[in-house]
Amino acid sequence: MITHELIERIEGEAVLDFKTDKSGVVQDANIRFSHFRGMEAILEGRNALDALVITPRVCGICGHSHLIATVKMIENVYRNAGVSIRISDKANAIRQITLSCELIQNHIKWLYLVMLHESAKMLGEEPGVALKALYVSSQVNQLCALFSGQWPHSSYALPGGVTCDPTHIEVMQALKILSDVECFIRDEVLGCDVDAFAQAMEHNRVLSLTGDFGTVLRNFERLGVLEQGKSHSRFLVLGDTQEIIVHSQHSGAIAENVSEDSSQTFAEGGNTYAKNALYNGEFFETGPLARALVQERTGISALHRLYGDSALTRITARVDEMVSLCAEVRELLMSLDLSQPSFITPPSIESISGEGIGIVEAPRGSLIHRATIEKGKIVSYTIITPTQWNLGNGTSMIPGIAQKAMIGAASTAKASLLFRTFDVCSVCTTH
Amino acid sequence: MLSNPARVKIIWLQGITCNGNTHSFLNDPALGNFLESAEFIHHPLLPCKNTLKELVKKLPKSDILIFEGAYSASFERAGMAMETLLPALASKTSHIISLGSCASFGGIFKEGNPEQISGIVFDKEEEKGPLRAMREKVITLSGCPAHPKWLSFVIDMIVSGKRIALDEYRRPKELYGYLVHNGCLRNEYFEWKVDSHHFGTKEGCLYYAQGCQGPFTHGSCNKILWNEVSSKTRSGTPCVGCTEPTFPKSNLFSTKTYMSIPSEMPLGIPKRSYLALAGAAKSFHIKRLEERLIDDNA
Repeated sequence: MITHELIERIEGEAVLDFKTDKSGVVQDANIRFSHFRGMEAILEGRNALDALVITPRVCGICGHSHLIATVKMIENVYRNAGVSIRISDKANAIRQITLSCELIQNHIKWLYLVMLHESAKMLGEEPGVALKALYVSSQVNQLCALFSGQWPHSSYALPGGVTCDPTHIEVMQALKILSDVECFIRDEVLGCDVDAFAQAMEHNRVLSLTGDFGTVLRNFERLGVLEQGKSHSRFLVLGDTQEIIVHSQHSGAIAENVSEDSSQTFAEGGNTYAKNALYNGEFFETGPLARALVQERTGISALHRLYGDSALTRITARVDEMVSLCAEVRELLMSLDLSQPSFITPPSIESISGEGIGIVEAPRGSLIHRATIEKGKIVSYTIITPTQWNLGNGTSMIPGIAQKAMIGAASTAKASLLFRTFDVCSVCTTH
Repeated sequence: MLSNPARVKIIWLQGITCNGNTHSFLNDPALGNFLESAEFIHHPLLPCKNTLKELVKKLPKSDILIFEGAYSASFERAGMAMETLLPALASKTSHIISLGSCASFGGIFKEGNPEQISGIVFDKEEEKGPLRAMREKVITLSGCPAHPKWLSFVIDMIVSGKRIALDEYRRPKELYGYLVHNGCLRNEYFEWKVDSHHFGTKEGCLYYAQGCQGPFTHGSCNKILWNEVSSKTRSGTPCVGCTEPTFPKSNLFSTKTYMSIPSEMPLGIPKRSYLALAGAAKSFHIKRLEERLIDDNA
């Protein structure tokens, strides 16, 4: 039987076309995104710096990641054009702090608004508004805004550094907020301190954790989907240093191996606006689970050995990332050298021609911006978003990452819940 | 005043959007209080009474319809074209809020398809959107995104039955009577014509060379701070003019000048007067304004 399910309460909407057998078990799932805005075309012909204002508008929840990808791309164009461009350690650290904030707030919203809410609803329990989670995510955004001026949609990073010139007062405020966020994660999300959480992951006890994260896992267990949602177990991390690392199958990989496949799109006679993103012609999972496994974080690696890339491991990886990012932000704030310059003026963009690539690890995974610039003007611009990797639409022979995770689910509702473990965002996927 | 002010019924509908206004609103620290007096019939992320599918099937009445995102007749939500869905919901509500610059004027997404995409009442400066006949019900909250407190304020005014004074684009004067320039920490540099020279400093005005549109952009960004703590100009980023129908302009990080004077004047200031004033101000060399505020930052 074929059924069509509208997936709401994600970022935007998606349609899943399920093929089920007589008992309702999902045999195949087709993923469609029907909204398209043409962001890449909007950028063509503009001054390259305008992209710093336009690309954050790809997505209301990860716009900052787009900003950082854009600024790295432009800096890469400078370097490829043989023009030196310097960024102080301080500016780099501030960019990393604000980027990490975006990941943390995203993960909190996803855990409460999507995972806790949807799993409880399927169990017939009507959950209330997760006000405490929204409050703490607004605090994380406040920490970000101390440096970026606002969240969402700031444009405070420019080739050469950042526009802000923070003092110790901002750093002090940021550390105060960070302490509150860490308390929330300890008391509400985990129900234990971070050491006990690490122990629980290593000794397979996460299900007994008393916080809201434990509740999500127990909801998944009650629904019989906790150990489901397994995909290809192929992982990719492209961001951070532009050194590309691929876990489990390849190593020392390069950006040239990334390709887009538009065979499923409307333009090619298909029924979605989303192009697939492929590495060496194959689907790879990106995002918190990929990052944890590539960084060989002990807890997630232990869970992956026991449960593979199931819902349990995928959900825990996102929670574990909140914890590790808080520690990283603390470290960066503590070691910030405010005497360094925020911005080192580069030669005018109008003197620059060439190609460039900017890659960051966004909340949902590896985000790539590529462009060709001619005397400071954008000739062409290509964006590959994390959700294109994870939500790509393959065939029943070679399914995409989320597609494969849904196949075998006992019902379309359970498959839809597994789909949401990938932190679905339709605005990003189509852009 | 609404019939049941204790529980105002709101539908939040999205057109062509990035969800930026949704996420901006979730930053309102008063969200808990707000939800005590408001009920979402539909909201894209928060728990609500109707799913999108049910919304399209029932087309329910509401007290306030919030529209986020740009309008295009053929754009669909849950399979229903916006040209059917939006007027149907709009005719069954008493107040409409056009939230964000896309819903208000077409915004960034209009750039992708200028012929088909517009705001709900305005298409850039022109009043030719699909809800122009219902303009009296519409309040414009432009901005990319709109500030969460701007939305809370308007809903609170509607619920308590207070009159909201509006400008020519139906924006509340209490929020858009100000310029972004108002409350900017760099105003003294503006007055004495001291340029910031480059990005990444606390000192200097961003209007003269860095493209700041604060002196001619309506918005209370420097009165009602973003995320309670800052604003674009406070963090050294030039205002990009996102509340205006002209958003997005081009060459946003440089100022077009004529004879080293910005070609776009601060709002309401005749060029001749400005030139005279600028000449006089520039003849002062105020040592304090040419030095760093904090010499030793370490």
